[in-house]
Formats: sequence, C-alpha cells, structure tokens
Amino acid sequence: MEDLFEGYTIGPWWDEMLESPSYPRKASLGLHEALRSLSAADLEERCAERDRSFRDRGITFSLSGEERPFPLDPVPRLVSADEWAVIESGVAQRVRALEMFLADVYGRGEVLKDGVVPRRLVATSRHFHRAAAGIETPNGVRIHVSGIDLVRDATGEFRVLEDNLRIPSGVSYVVENRRTMARVFPELFVSHRVRPVADYPDKLLASLKAASPRRARGEPTVVVLTPGVHNAAYFEHSFLARQMGVELVEGRDLVCRQNTLYMRTTGGEQRVDVVYRRIDDDYLDPLHFRSDSLLGSAGLLNVARAGNVTIANAVGNGVADDKLAYTYVPALIDYYLGERPILANVPTYRLEEPDQLEHVLGRIGELVLKPVDASGGYGLLIGPQASEEEIDAAAVAIRANPRSWVAQEVVQLSTVPTKVGNHLEPRHVDLRPFAINDGERVWVLPGGLTRVALPRGSLVVNSSQGGGSKDTWVLASDNPHFGGRDVDGVERTAAAALAALPPYGAGPDLGPALAANQQQQQSGPPCSAG
Amino acid sequence: MSWRIATRHVSSYRYASTVFASYNEARMTPVASHRQSVLESHVSIRPTAPPLRYVDYWATTVYAFDVHEPHDNLVVTGSSVVETAGAEVLNEDAGWELVHRPDVQDRYSELLLPTPYAPLEPALRDLAHDVGTSETPAQAVASVSAWVRSAMRYEPGTTQVSTSAVEAWRQGSGVCQDFAHLTLVLLRELGIPARYTSGYLHPRVAAAIGETVKGASHAWVEAWLGSWQPVDPTNGEPVGERHVTVARGRDYADVAPLHGLYHGGALEDLEVTVELTRVA
Amino acid sequence: MLSRIAESLFWVGRYLERAEDTARILDVQIHQLLEDATNDEALASNALLSVMGILDADEAQLDLGHVTALLAFDTAQPSSIVSSLVGARENARGIRETISSELWECLNATYVALDQRVATARAIGPHAFFRFAKFVKERVAIAAGLADATMSRDDGWRFLVLGRSLERVDMTARLLSVRLSLPESMSDWVTTLRCCSAHEAYLRTYHGAVDAERATEFLLLDRLFPRSAYFALATAESCLVELDPDRGRLGPDDEARRILGRARAALEYRRIGELLDELPAHLAALQRSCSEATFAVAGRFFHHEPDLEWRPEVPSPPIVRSA
Repeated sequence: MEDLFEGYTIGPWWDEMLESPSYPRKASLGLHEALRSLSAADLEERCAERDRSFRDRGITFSLSGEERPFPLDPVPRLVSADEWAVIESGVAQRVRALEMFLADVYGRGEVLKDGVVPRRLVATSRHFHRAAAGIETPNGVRIHVSGIDLVRDATGEFRVLEDNLRIPSGVSYVVENRRTMARVFPELFVSHRVRPVADYPDKLLASLKAASPRRARGEPTVVVLTPGVHNAAYFEHSFLARQMGVELVEGRDLVCRQNTLYMRTTGGEQRVDVVYRRIDDDYLDPLHFRSDSLLGSAGLLNVARAGNVTIANAVGNGVADDKLAYTYVPALIDYYLGERPILANVPTYRLEEPDQLEHVLGRIGELVLKPVDASGGYGLLIGPQASEEEIDAAAVAIRANPRSWVAQEVVQLSTVPTKVGNHLEPRHVDLRPFAINDGERVWVLPGGLTRVALPRGSLVVNSSQGGGSKDTWVLASDNPHFGGRDVDGVERTAAAALAALPPYGAGPDLGPALAANQQQQQSGPPCSAG
Repeated sequence: MSWRIATRHVSSYRYASTVFASYNEARMTPVASHRQSVLESHVSIRPTAPPLRYVDYWATTVYAFDVHEPHDNLVVTGSSVVETAGAEVLNEDAGWELVHRPDVQDRYSELLLPTPYAPLEPALRDLAHDVGTSETPAQAVASVSAWVRSAMRYEPGTTQVSTSAVEAWRQGSGVCQDFAHLTLVLLRELGIPARYTSGYLHPRVAAAIGETVKGASHAWVEAWLGSWQPVDPTNGEPVGERHVTVARGRDYADVAPLHGLYHGGALEDLEVTVELTRVA
Repeated sequence: MLSRIAESLFWVGRYLERAEDTARILDVQIHQLLEDATNDEALASNALLSVMGILDADEAQLDLGHVTALLAFDTAQPSSIVSSLVGARENARGIRETISSELWECLNATYVALDQRVATARAIGPHAFFRFAKFVKERVAIAAGLADATMSRDDGWRFLVLGRSLERVDMTARLLSVRLSLPESMSDWVTTLRCCSAHEAYLRTYHGAVDAERATEFLLLDRLFPRSAYFALATAESCLVELDPDRGRLGPDDEARRILGRARAALEYRRIGELLDELPAHLAALQRSCSEATFAVAGRFFHHEPDLEWRPEVPSPPIVRSA
C-alpha cells in the first residue's frame, strides 16, 4: 500500500506534524500513524462523505456571487495543550489591552495625551467614528467577539498577524468543520482528546446578555442583525442565530422609535435590547453613516447613545484593528497592563515615518505590503513573488499615500500535511482563534479557524482568495476536567444512562404472516395515493 | 462690554407629499465657552417628538429626534438666551515654534487635514505661503483673513450649501460659509490649526435693547495661537459681543444645523428665519 | 415572530403546494392525452394554460411539449414548477434559522438536484413527464413530512400551513375550472379526481362510479378529505384563529378570517344543486377569496417599511451675511 506521505518534503519553515519527513512531533504521533495506515482510496471515500455532508447541509460561502461548499481539508491540525496555553493567554491579554485602548480613544483620550499613540493615527483612521464618541457600553465591553489572526514562524513561535475587532467571521465553520470531522474520522476522536468547540454559541449568547443595557427589563431580547441572504457570511449569521435561539433580523425588520429599538413581528413591535450585528459600521445607521444604506436601521446609534440598546461589537472598533494601529499594540499592552506581550507581532514598518519608508522602498522585493484598512487579503503585495512592474507600482503607491500602507517582514508560515490529489503535501496555514469578552473574563474558544493556502508555496490563506480550512484540534491537557467528555461535550456516562431505560414499546405485529396476507389482498383499496 | 442676546432660529420644511418617518439631528444650541455663557436654550419640534439631547465629539449640543406621525411639515425651532463677551485682540505672543511644535501639530491633527469642503489645492498652497509669511502666526491669520476678503466678492446665490472652498475661490464669490472654508484651507496649509465656527451675528452695532431684528446664520473661523482665537473673514470685524457661537468642527459638515433622513415626498419648500433680540 | 419570517413561511407553504399541484395537474392531463388519441391536444393545452393564468401563449404551437416547458420548466413563468421550487427554497434560505435544518436541507437538496432533473425530463419529452412529476411530488411530500415532524406548532408553523391551505383552495378551484372549460367529451372526472389524489378516497367514500356531481361535491365539500376546498378553507381559518384568538364577544376582527369564513359558509350551507348550477361563479369567488385573504393576511401580519428609500433632509441653504 502506498503511503500518503510519499514524497512529503519539509522546507525552511516549521512543519507542525513532522520534524523531518520520517519523524513526527510528539503530539502528532498518533495522528501521523493513523494517516499512514490509510490508503488513498480510504481517504477519497472519506472526502466524499465530507462533501455530501457539507452540500446537503448547505454549508457554503459565496465567492463572487457564487455559492460554494466550504473547503475543508480532511487532515486536522493539532495544537498541543502547552501551545494552546500560550495562545489563550496571549489572545486574552491582547483583547484586554485593546478594550482599554478603545474605551480611551472614544472617551478621555489619555493614551493620546500621553503620546503613546499619535492622535494623528486616530484622526486619520477611516474607521474612527466621531459619531461613536461618548457612547458608553453597559458593561464596558466593546470587543464582544474578536478574531486574532496568528501565524507560526520558522522557529515554531506563534505571532500575531492582525487583529479583527469589528465583525470577525468564520466561527461557524469551526463548529461545522468539527461536526463533519466527527463523521468522517470518528476513530481519530477516540484516540485523541480534543477539546470541544460546540459550546461557542452558548458563550456568545451569555456575553451578549451580559452586555444588555441596564434598563432592559427581565430577560434581554438579543437579535443577530444580518445584511441578508446575499451576504457572503449569511450562513454564519443564520447558524449563530439558530444555535443561540434568537431572531435573525435584517435592517427592514427593525425600527427605532423615540430612542428605543423594536423589531416588527406578527404580534406588533417588540423591543430589542442587544444587537449582535454582522453589518459594517458604514451601513449600520444611515442617519450617521452612509445615508444610502438600506441594511441598517436609521437612528440605531442614538438608541445606543440613549442607553437603550447595546450594539455588539461596538461602533468604531476599526480604529484599533487597522494594520497601522496593530504596530502599537505591544506598546498598548505595556501602557495599559504593564505587561510584556505574550504573543509577539510580526516585524512591521510604519511608512509615515520617513526613515522606515526609505528602508522599505529599498526592500519592497523582500517584504509584504498591506493596505492598512483592507481585509480578506485584498490589495496584498508579496514582494518575493511580485514582478518588477508590481514592485515599481507599489513604490509609487506608498510614496503617494504612506498612511495607507504598512510593510511586514515575510513570515515563512508553518505547514501542515494537506490532501493534494491522492496524497499529502505540506501547505501553509494560519490560525484565527475566537475570543469572547463577557466583561468578566476573555474566553478563547479552544480551537479556531485554520486557513490553508491551497496552491503550492502560497502564503495567502483567505477563503476569498482561494484558501481552504482545517479542523483545529486543541488537545486536552492531563487536567481531569476534560477527561469525561467526548467531542460534542456530552458526558460519556450518558450511554450508561440510556442502557438503563426500559425497552422501546412496539406497535402492532406486522410480521411475515400479516405481510403475506396483505400481498394476497389484491382487490382492496390501494395502499398508496396518486 | 458684554451683550445679552435672545436668539430664535426656525427651520420649516414643507414636503410635496406626506412623510411617514423622519430621523434628524438639530445643532442649534449655543455652546458655553469663556467668551459666551448660555443662560437658556431650548429646541422644539413640530410634530412633537421627544428628543435625545447629547453633546457630540465637537462639544456641540445635539437634539436627536424621530417623527413617525405622518406629516407634511416639519418645523424645528431653536431658541436661547446667551451672554456674549466683547472682542479680544489676537494673541501675538504665540510664535511659529509653538504652533509648529510636533505635539501641537499632533494634538490638532484633524484640524490641519484637508476635508471635502476645505480640500487640498496645489494652487492655494503657494498662495498661502505668499500671503501668510509673517513674523507671527497671529499676523498670518490677519493677513489670510484680509486676503480672503479681497479675493472673494460677497454674493449670495452664487454658491450652494455643497460648494467647496476651491470652487468658491475659482469663481471669486460666495457667502460666509465659503469665506470661512477658504480661510481654513490657507491656515491649515500654513500649519495653523483652524476650525469652522457657526453661529449667529447680530446685524446692528448699536442695537436697541428689546428690539427684535431679522438676523442670519453666520460662519467664521477659529485659529489656534496658543489658545483658540476667532477671526471673521467675511466681515473683517473682530469677533465680539454680536457673535453668538453655536458649533465648531472641521468644516460645515460637522455643524449643519439640521441633518437627517426621511421616507416620503420630495422637499417642496424650506424656510429658515433667524430672529435676534438684544435683551441687555 | 418577525413579520418578514412569517411572510417567508407563508410563501414556502404556498410555493410547495403550487409546485406539487401543478405537477399533479400536468401529470394527469398529459397521461390522459397520451392514452386517448382522440383528444384535442391544442384545446386541452389551451385550457390548462388559461387555468394556470398564462393567457398570452402562442396558439400556433400549443402542444404538450410547449405546455410542459411553460408550466413545469420555464423560470420566466413565476408559477411554473421550477419557479415555485426555487421560490420555496429562496424563501426558506432567508429564514434558515427558523425552520428546522432538516426542512432546509430537503428544500436545498431539491434545488440542487433540479437542474439535472429538468435536463433529463426535457431530453426525454412530455410522455415521460410522470417521472419528473413523481420527483416533485415526493420531494414536496418529504418536505411536508419533515415540517410536520420537526417544526414546533408555533406561529411559524401556522403561517406555513396557512399558505399551503390557501394555495390548495386556489388550485382546487383552478382545477375544477379547467374541467369546466373543456367539452363534455373530454371531461373525464376520474382524471380530475386523480389530479387531487382524490380518486381512491372518492371510491372509498361513495363506493361507486364517478359522476360529475359527486366528484365536484367531493372536491369542494368533503369534510374529511384534506384536499377538498372546504377542508383547506377550514384549516386556513383555524390557523388564523390560533394566530390571533378572539378577545371580545363580537367575533373576529380579522379581515382574512371574515373573508375565509364567508367563503367556507358559502360552500358549507349551499345545496349541491345550487353550487353546480352556478359553478363557474362559485369557483371564481373562491379564487377571489384566496387572493383577498392573502392581501388581508399581509396587511395584518406582514408589516413593511412604507418606502425603503431614505431621502436626505435638505440642509439649510447657504448662510447669508447680515446687512
């Protein structure tokens, strides 16, 4: 039988499964062995099962207006308990610092007065919304949900690539990938203690309820606000609403009336306390932002200002997550928390600073250039893969508008074995862990979206740019807390409880004798209609 | 010398057909400052709607309201009583080194950057340096203001509410809004932080107490010269007891007296009146 | 529940019923024409099209292929089978979080399979239309079964059933109309009953041969058969009662209930002879009631923005300097 790893090579980067082509890393021993025992035909069969499962459940994303099944690679990515501990504390630390930064920027502005972050950075940010100044959030949380994108460098160290504090997406794929993997590779879950991800919606709902305005009476009404069916992430919006058991609303379902938000129901207007919005700031409230927007609800921002609704995530978070603000996050962690960053940034150059600009202009071919306020991998220039013309054009562009760009050192992203054709090859990956802040603590979902750059050698992992995904398995430590649970978070003892139930009741006997009787009975009425 | 002035600012909108829903923000409340105290202020809305009152990023008082009752007319009235102070001379003490100091430039960076109404314009860049090269920033402010008055003919109706400083300058005419925007372009070009200021101007230098006169909305500029100093490029007169300050911002867009949205018929008629009464 | 979602559920119900009923009608009519060569294909085709609301068809090419293309496969025809299934799926897509995953997956899988099924059905031609009809009927039956088994009996369910019931009344009225528009020689009541899957139930009920009077009576008035106009009207009415129970002693203040209640009473308390004498008028009234009831339901439950366009309030005119 041919080995799926036949011809697997390791380049000058960190391979997460293999130290060398024949030596798996300790945490991957079991997975590696299991994969080696599979034939190409076995793997193909399981992938077919995966595709059926996704297609029938309609788990898709839109690419240029076309619905495609979300591409999940069958080989999971493993993160050991020790590695996860670093990620978890590092992400939480970052979110805490960024929360304080946002509260400061939309409040007293101490960090600007103290010169830690130039006011100019804030004033020129496309996502700094003066209309949000002075809006206080009921429990002080602005970053209810965040996605902190991590990459792993050639030494195996996790680094932060960017922060997503507005409407980070992808968590539904984390949960659905896991559901699918449990069907495709059930035996792997028996041999690995993988921490569950299915409780994400519960945690999200709890944090949204905790953010409810104090004036809300009784159980707060939470809704998910979607741009609608045609949005690329609609599946996720619907998924979250359903899993949380709350209404999925569109802008046209909402109406602001005298500084209170209502949704239009068949029983009349019903008050809404918390809006988990999946609409960009620009479209959220045509009164304050784009007046041509039909997606949001006019007056929403002032309802929040009046303290009658909580918008999650808060309006204006983008000022803290553009790629220029990113360069200040280590300084913010020091300023607000007096701590050293647990997760380092990727070395990044600010082009507004003349010496850094000159340095970068001389090295465009070796660096990655990123527009500061774009996301989804759009507008990216990877120096080592760019043509002369592209590099020249980039030089002109950054000279013309240095505020709009940052330059980063190329990180040789780590690789994970990935199914390509009928065998496995190394492909570069990143990781987006999701963090939820309920005001008491920052909880990091043990898992996250691992995105894979599918073309050989590619470093661009965005699904909008032809990337795929992997199920991310955070392995449980020896902590007994995780011991008794299987992948869906169900206590194993449930099976024992079932065994104690009385046997099923049975209907009237339709055994062979009666069946034969029916077959002889040709003259009676037919048994099926039409 | 200080004056006490009662203001009444009425905007009446009449629509071609019934409006079903309308969301608005009114910025019609004078701002308290070291040269102006606000004794009374009130904004009323017809059809009646309970407003949300808040202070925005620029320290302007805003009345936000929504009207759901079907209506053909919307009338927003801002009334106030303020006490204004006499004119001050521009602060000559502040030198260029203070105004151009990096921390000052950073602190006021958003009041130094181009805006849609006061955009970047290469031709004005050279002009700013020709006009504004002076011993002190205060002299530069005075000469820019004088130059704007010489370059622009005051002529209502030649510009729209949406006209930019550069468009107005090219045609050589406009109203106080255009004078103020053009002044902002030049001052910012010289590195002097400058903000758009809106309010009312009492038309009579020797106003009789108790006499109500037809006034108007007005706009001028404040420049940072160690502290904020007002200058009125339209009149060329010192900003003093006749000026009532309502709002400040980067340009007109930040201070528009009424800003909003509605469902329903086109606007048929808009009537704006400002009445000013010196009461003491 | 959200008005928009209620409206979508209502239309999921209507579209599914429409797809199924159209498939049934086409299936049986095609079968009948193929069985008996003496039937006038053009006449039957014309009757079918007019009853389905397609009036501007090209008379010259009225054959089964053309009729099938229009009523089954044409995506430009809003009430074709394909359009109805797409419409049901599109409405369900916007409310995925409200209906069960199973129901959504069923509607989605139907949609995904549709292209292939249509291509095959077109390639084979109308004589094998029964295969496509079977596919449609089965998929709709599965959807109905899944809805029945997985949806809570809440308002969402009621709107779904309300939509389905109104469509059923409408389609039954249309079916009887097509019967009336054909000459007596072609008027085969067995076929008509089979369109509604009512033939067997009829035989069990009347224990005898099919005749026009009893068939019409059965399809309009039977109290127990779920596809009779009476049964569907009563179901729709009970949905409305549950959606908005009577609060006072004055009876329903719901316009849709009044419309449906009157339509039901008009059937319930009329002698069959009277009904038959003025059947075309009664059928037209039934269809009108369905459309008026839909309008009333929309007015009561499906609240919309009066106008989705926002106009910016015109800012004050350029400021004028005082004299």
